[in-house]
Amino acid sequence: MIELKNVTKKYGKVTAVDNINFSVKEGEIVGLLGPNGAGKSTTMNMITGFIEQTEGEIMINGFDITKKPKKAKKCIGYMPEGVPLYTDLTVKEFVTYMAEIKQVNKKERKEKIRQIIEKTGLKDVEKKVIKNLSRGYKQRVSMAGALVGDPKILILDEPTVGLDPKQITEIRNMIKELGKTHTVILSSHILSEVSQICNKVIIINKGKIVAIDTPENLENRVNNKNCIYVTVEDNENKIDTIKNKIKEIKSVQLTQKNEDGTKQYIIEAEGEIDLRKTIFNEFAKENITIFEMKKADTTLEEAFMKLIEGGNK
Amino acid sequence: MWAVMKKEFKSYFFSPVGYVFIGLFLIMFSIFFYIDVFTYQSTNFEYIFYSGATILTFIIPILTMRTIAEERKTGTEQLLLTSPVSITKMVLGKFLAAVAIVVITELCTFMYFGILCFFGTPHITTALVTLLGFLLLAISYISFGILASSITENQIIAGVITIGFFILTWFLPSINEIFTNFSLINMFSKFPSGQIDIADTVTFITFTIVCILLTIIVMQRRKSVR
Repeated sequence: MIELKNVTKKYGKVTAVDNINFSVKEGEIVGLLGPNGAGKSTTMNMITGFIEQTEGEIMINGFDITKKPKKAKKCIGYMPEGVPLYTDLTVKEFVTYMAEIKQVNKKERKEKIRQIIEKTGLKDVEKKVIKNLSRGYKQRVSMAGALVGDPKILILDEPTVGLDPKQITEIRNMIKELGKTHTVILSSHILSEVSQICNKVIIINKGKIVAIDTPENLENRVNNKNCIYVTVEDNENKIDTIKNKIKEIKSVQLTQKNEDGTKQYIIEAEGEIDLRKTIFNEFAKENITIFEMKKADTTLEEAFMKLIEGGNK
Repeated sequence: MWAVMKKEFKSYFFSPVGYVFIGLFLIMFSIFFYIDVFTYQSTNFEYIFYSGATILTFIIPILTMRTIAEERKTGTEQLLLTSPVSITKMVLGKFLAAVAIVVITELCTFMYFGILCFFGTPHITTALVTLLGFLLLAISYISFGILASSITENQIIAGVITIGFFILTWFLPSINEIFTNFSLINMFSKFPSGQIDIADTVTFITFTIVCILLTIIVMQRRKSVR
């Protein structure tokens, strides 16, 4: 669906995007992840044909964006960063204008516009002037603009920035819903968002691709330690001796003393074994009461930081 | 192209720009009309346009300064430039919208023509030739204004560049006669005599085409440096 081959973007001597390659298949929801200034927006702007790459080739649905821009652009719905909108227009006028410049068939236009307004939940405000709308609604209007013309590909640049938690959930659900019928690329620096919505993550740092994988694999990739968090009530400090009882334990570390007398420990196991069952049984024998126990997963956050730091070295 | 034109035309009236342009022009024109008719006892419709042409110098930037600069500043150009509309069509759409406003303004001036009919018999063909010349002057001004708007994201700078350029071409002939042929407003001054000057018409149109082409080139070029 989308293919980038050796794409580079230079501004004078500064290289914003450095020789990146990736492809997105039909139906995938791909998250572009990276710190600010990593080249996410630049990459998206190149895919949508807003800017031209210095080198390399970008194919959209089989059309080269620089050689066949009209055909390629017809396949794309773009929601730019910071949701630029014609704020003088009403919602309906804006969507109509987008339909006109995207050359939606005249006969179907009215019906399509109605459908999109309904889909994005803008029915109640369709006659309002955009500048009077709240940020959340503006985001929806921008999304509606992207959906006009039934593009197969949706490119969303930081779609949830500046929204309140409720609106974020709404927009995320909308994207998930759209992902069923569209190929989606979205950028974000919120990791949990990407891991929730996307089935593929591309991590970019300093214009280079650091990793391309599924969110789960990325977590596993750096998830080499096998640690367990336990919160216990252990007044006689029996936990110190537990290490001798379970041979697989590598280390026991106190991380926190709670006000109610319980203590939190982090237990690291040797190798890749899950010690939870053993710990539960042994602690019971020793009369250590377990309040809480959980496996310490490396979050995408940590994976991200590690990959970025790795890239910086 | 028509979609862009339609929207641009409408937004002239969503914001006060369209009203301000037409209103200012008609107020100034009325003053000149008054002076012409009552002070000089003239029933000559065409001569008012000599003064009318100077008004254009100052009010055309009102129409053109925001056309591209504002889209660039607010980022809405991303919507336009990532849609299947080509840059050429986008620029032409904006150009035609501004031209449409001028045409409306010209149509409004017919009421003065009507008033003059009470006092005397103004010459209709001369009036039409004058209006044609006036339109040619306006389209070359507009095309330059849009070019100025495309090179900056600051509307004010675009406006100042435009007015500056017009005033420069206006006063160039007074520095040296060589420049007479470079002055757009001088070229217009032949039309109120009722003759269509082919050379001047061609120059106006060429100037317009060159400005529009330059605007398109500027927009294309910015794609790779942006």
